Amino acid sequence: MRLEEHLRKIVGEPWVISGKERKLYAYDGFTAVEGDPELVVLPGNEEEAVKVIRLLLERGVKFIVRGSGTSLSGATVPVGGEVIVGLSRLNRVYSLEGYEMEVGPGIANVMVTKNAPPHLFYAPDPSSYVVSSIGGNISHDSGGVHVVKYGTTFNSVISLRVVLSNGEVEDLSYGPFLSALPIFVGSEGTLGIILRVRLRLYPRPKTRRSLFAVFPDVRSAGEAVVGIFKRGVIPSALEMMDRNSIKVVEMSRYRAGIPDVGALLLIELDGDEEEVEEQEEIVNGVLTDTGGARLSVADEGKVWNARKGAFPAMGVISPAYLTLDCNVPRRALPEVLEEVSRIAKRRGVFIANVFHAGDGNLHPLIPYDPSSPESLFRAIQASNEIVKEALRVGGVPSGEHGIGIEKVKFMGLYHGEAEMRVMRRIKDSFDPRGLMNPCKLLGGCEPKTEVTRWLWEWD
Amino acid sequence: MGVGLEDSCVHCGFCLEACPTYVVTRSEVHSPRGRITAVKLDVDSQGFDTCMFCRRCELACPSGVEYARIITKVRRATPEKILMNSLLERPRLAWRVLKAGKSLNSGLIQRVRLSLRDPQEPLEYREESPEVILFPGCLTSLAYRRTVENALKFLKAKGLRVSVLNGCCGLAHRSEGQVERAQELVRRLTNVKGGTLVSLSSNCTAHMRESGVQVLDFSEYVLGLLGQERVELSLTVHDPCHANMIGLGKATREVLRKLGVNLVEMEEPSFECGAGGGYFLFHPQIAENVMELKAEKIRRSGTNLVVSTNPSCSLVLSFKGFQVVHLADLLAQTVTKSLE
Ligand SMILES: Cc1cc2nc3c(=O)[nH]c(=O)nc-3n(C[C@H](O)[C@H](O)[C@H](O)COP(=O)(O)OP(=O)(O)OC[C@H]3O[C@@H](n4cnc5c(N)ncnc54)[C@H](O)[C@@H]3O)c2cc1C
Ligand code: SF4
Ligand code: SF4
Repeated sequence: MRLEEHLRKIVGEPWVISGKERKLYAYDGFTAVEGDPELVVLPGNEEEAVKVIRLLLERGVKFIVRGSGTSLSGATVPVGGEVIVGLSRLNRVYSLEGYEMEVGPGIANVMVTKNAPPHLFYAPDPSSYVVSSIGGNISHDSGGVHVVKYGTTFNSVISLRVVLSNGEVEDLSYGPFLSALPIFVGSEGTLGIILRVRLRLYPRPKTRRSLFAVFPDVRSAGEAVVGIFKRGVIPSALEMMDRNSIKVVEMSRYRAGIPDVGALLLIELDGDEEEVEEQEEIVNGVLTDTGGARLSVADEGKVWNARKGAFPAMGVISPAYLTLDCNVPRRALPEVLEEVSRIAKRRGVFIANVFHAGDGNLHPLIPYDPSSPESLFRAIQASNEIVKEALRVGGVPSGEHGIGIEKVKFMGLYHGEAEMRVMRRIKDSFDPRGLMNPCKLLGGCEPKTEVTRWLWEWD
Repeated sequence: MGVGLEDSCVHCGFCLEACPTYVVTRSEVHSPRGRITAVKLDVDSQGFDTCMFCRRCELACPSGVEYARIITKVRRATPEKILMNSLLERPRLAWRVLKAGKSLNSGLIQRVRLSLRDPQEPLEYREESPEVILFPGCLTSLAYRRTVENALKFLKAKGLRVSVLNGCCGLAHRSEGQVERAQELVRRLTNVKGGTLVSLSSNCTAHMRESGVQVLDFSEYVLGLLGQERVELSLTVHDPCHANMIGLGKATREVLRKLGVNLVEMEEPSFECGAGGGYFLFHPQIAENVMELKAEKIRRSGTNLVVSTNPSCSLVLSFKGFQVVHLADLLAQTVTKSLE
């Protein structure tokens, strides 16, 4: 039986997408490279998903598991004509016990908190929380504004059910010795398929308070960030927007009346009322010392939404953009931010910075014109320089968006040959035939287009 | 096939979970992002046809993508749909055809009759130099003559001179991609003179206002007329999708508040009802799944009584076993009471 026919038998006629419509799965949140999936299959439950994956493994077909397709590093782009297995229909809540919820991988992040009892919440909240899936969140170890206090997705995963490359279904949980679970977090679908997840919920803090502060420049805002931690406060969120990103947001539907300033800090404190009072006082002191001024706003939610909507709001000035997410030590923030603006000038690109300042996770957004390869090339060149600068000050190439096809060449730069060899050996033992999400994370593919060459090779 | 607007989409997917057809299929093909991508990549996708044209995606989109203008350019109305829309332009004619349709063997007419079990003769009512020109909207005039009568009763009790204007605003045409015909129809309403144009179908209100017609929604108009009227009921409100885009839900709730109604909000009141204009006649399976999802949200509110100010929503909600009323139906009750 032909593969397509066989797949249709498993999942039902409408859930295999072939013909030209399969192109709707040609890319994700990273739009610079267009792939071409051979087929798209959308299983409707666990059994179907296992059957589909076993069939693909049996036939030696390369495939990519996809959640909601919002990866910013192109981790679901079928550059080699792979079959896409979309798991968005596996979105059930299986159980809720105490502080734990068991869900299917396709459920949108936002639905976890929605399904939780009112006194609990799911902490990792990437800005894409309204759409991105838990399976994707785990595979990229996604962060969000609450990472500073609650950690990345990693800290909220209790157990996983996965399908391995021999077709076996395994339940993994934490163990004290050589635990198998953590390696799946951040593995970008290259080691196995996540079928089911048990997540940790946190009790909602009694008090949550937002403070907003404006600064004349990013350097002083960066100093305030360092100062807040130095004085012993761990905010539950600490975000920064620079002048360019404020401008863009104020042109979009997320406009929140933020004034035209050098930088805005968005700070959230949580805990008991007393604790929060105390923290607020300390933060106020830091703001005064670093030249910041409290901004009082009528609608706090609006300002937070402005932050969360800042990436896609770029659409108002440009239909495409690169988003970097290198992490740098907090103390290096002021220095790196200044270098970023020098790079922008040198390369003749616009760069907006809106990011998780609390954990030093930068997000320079670099718009480019998709109809002009030259403009994309310049954006990629600027990214290269920024990532190198981050590494120079002791940072890492990606804090939360993953490597995908976008950052493979930085892996070698950061890890060195020996570490890369170890990682490849790990990949080989999980997936000896290289069928699961080839080319991603560890690279190893020949670029077939100009853009992938720019991305994968140093010039 | 590009229409020049799809380029502002950055492919972020923020619109997906807002889209009723995505929520029930979870397939890119039936999602706003997928539909826009199909336009971009020149893919003739079945998703063009399955769009409910509720425009919730536009409200969710941070990049300000003008989805409606993109989809209406690539949609091609089938002859069946064109026929149905042209019937709606003349509600009286539609009524006759539907009445006769019992014996007709057209698949379409049979399907229409399934949802519109009891087509009624549109109410004709005219007064000299009217203060209010009451526009029921094509489907309201056919399916909810009672509501039109109730609106009239209330307005008359307030001492107003009223004329009823039966016709179609063109929203149905627009949603099927008959953009030019839609413009012709709505242009006629731009020229309505001598009295305030008041619309009983809130999605039509939204469409007319967006097209530059000076029109008030019934909810907005009656706000200024309310006095001591009281309605003692517990109910929930459905926000019809287009009405929601221009925030008409506010006026509806304000009227209910003034009436002293006990309003129990349902989850996501603006979630699509499943009608999608004439949608449920053409894509019954997707429509049924959306309707069921909507019904669950309503059931969780614990009340069975739903206020809907748009006829296709009302039809679908009654289909699902809810008791559906228009604001005009509630207001008419207050009139009888004060007469007693
Ligand atoms: C506007 C915007 C804002 C964003 N903001 C943030 C942010 O603040 N923080 C952040 O960390 N990220 C952010 N992201 C990036 C993105 O949303 C996250 O990486 C998200 O976790 C991806 O989830 P997804 O469901 O879309 O996964 P996809 O893009 O579908 O897949 C991502 C990776 O996960 C793998 N995968 C998915 N499901 C499974 C599974 N069941 N089993 C095995 N592998 C699987 C895929 O193979 C792929 O490698 C943002 C993206 C956008 C577009
Ligand atoms: S108009 Fe409604 S059905 Fe159509 S794409 Fe937008 S949200 Fe989905
Ligand atoms: S239409 Fe808007 S919300 Fe949807 S993917 Fe495009 S940019 Fe994002």
